[in-house]
Amino acid sequence: MRSAIAYMPQIPQLAETKVLRPAEVALALNLISRMDFLRLKAIARLHARGLPPDVGWDDLLQEAFTRAIVGSRRKPQGVPMVAFLAGIMRSLRSEHWRRTRGGPGFRETLRIDHQRDLSRAAELHDPGSDLEQALLAREQIEAIEELFADDPVALAILAGLAEGRSAAQIRAAMKITKIDYDSARKRMRRTLLREGLTCGLN
Amino acid sequence: MRTKLTPATSTAALGRMLDQLDRELIEASDEDILEAARDLGMNPLMKGSAAFIGLRVPAMAQFADFFDSDALRSVLSMRSAQQSLAPEAERQRKARRLKSEKSIERKDSADK
Repeated sequence: MRSAIAYMPQIPQLAETKVLRPAEVALALNLISRMDFLRLKAIARLHARGLPPDVGWDDLLQEAFTRAIVGSRRKPQGVPMVAFLAGIMRSLRSEHWRRTRGGPGFRETLRIDHQRDLSRAAELHDPGSDLEQALLAREQIEAIEELFADDPVALAILAGLAEGRSAAQIRAAMKITKIDYDSARKRMRRTLLREGLTCGLN
Repeated sequence: MRTKLTPATSTAALGRMLDQLDRELIEASDEDILEAARDLGMNPLMKGSAAFIGLRVPAMAQFADFFDSDALRSVLSMRSAQQSLAPEAERQRKARRLKSEKSIERKDSADK
């Protein structure tokens, strides 16, 4: 009679003194490369703009990793890991903004719940928080514009992006060629990367 | 006529701006990152590069950073023992195969 012995891979015990952070787990599992880490650092830094002061870019990044690893957010097939994590950070940012503005609806809402006594409870929205949020956002827009202060084409592109215009619409409005537009976007990318990499140093 | 109404608040404008700019970073190649780092006098390929400052990860993560060193050592020694046994097991398996082939040949010739 033939018998086969299969050696099962044995996973060593986790060091008791070491607590893994979600980002470390992602790195250990080869979910992302070290270059991706830098890419994600720049993206997290970008999305942390306009967030409440108690929420840092690193919190945003770790939370994105946590949601990906725990599985509360599922990565669709074919979507690169960095794009997926960036998407999580984007929605985390929106979540924080909504919370700052006072609740999920952020407009004055009346809860309709016939099962509870709280059916008449009104969730009132603080109009002052909107104003504060708008001021914060304005400040951040100015900070981003400051990054491109010496590049008028980049500034015009930024203005177009803020208005929700497409690349073709921006090019038409600015009367620039696709090559000029693309090289301006490349300069912008480089500036954003530089900004992303320096954070933590200042 | 415009078909879409867009809120003109600065919050919405910032949101749109960030959503577009993050795409730039997602699409940035490794070479773009290295060039940006070079502009700042950094070398992300170097161990302990300043580019990783602020990121809560070890400069060069290794298996031993995450797992208990004693446990790791015992697993590695077990693995090496298995590997040293593997050629011997393979030799025995080959010998068994040869033996069975020979017996089949002998049986065939006896039939004839």
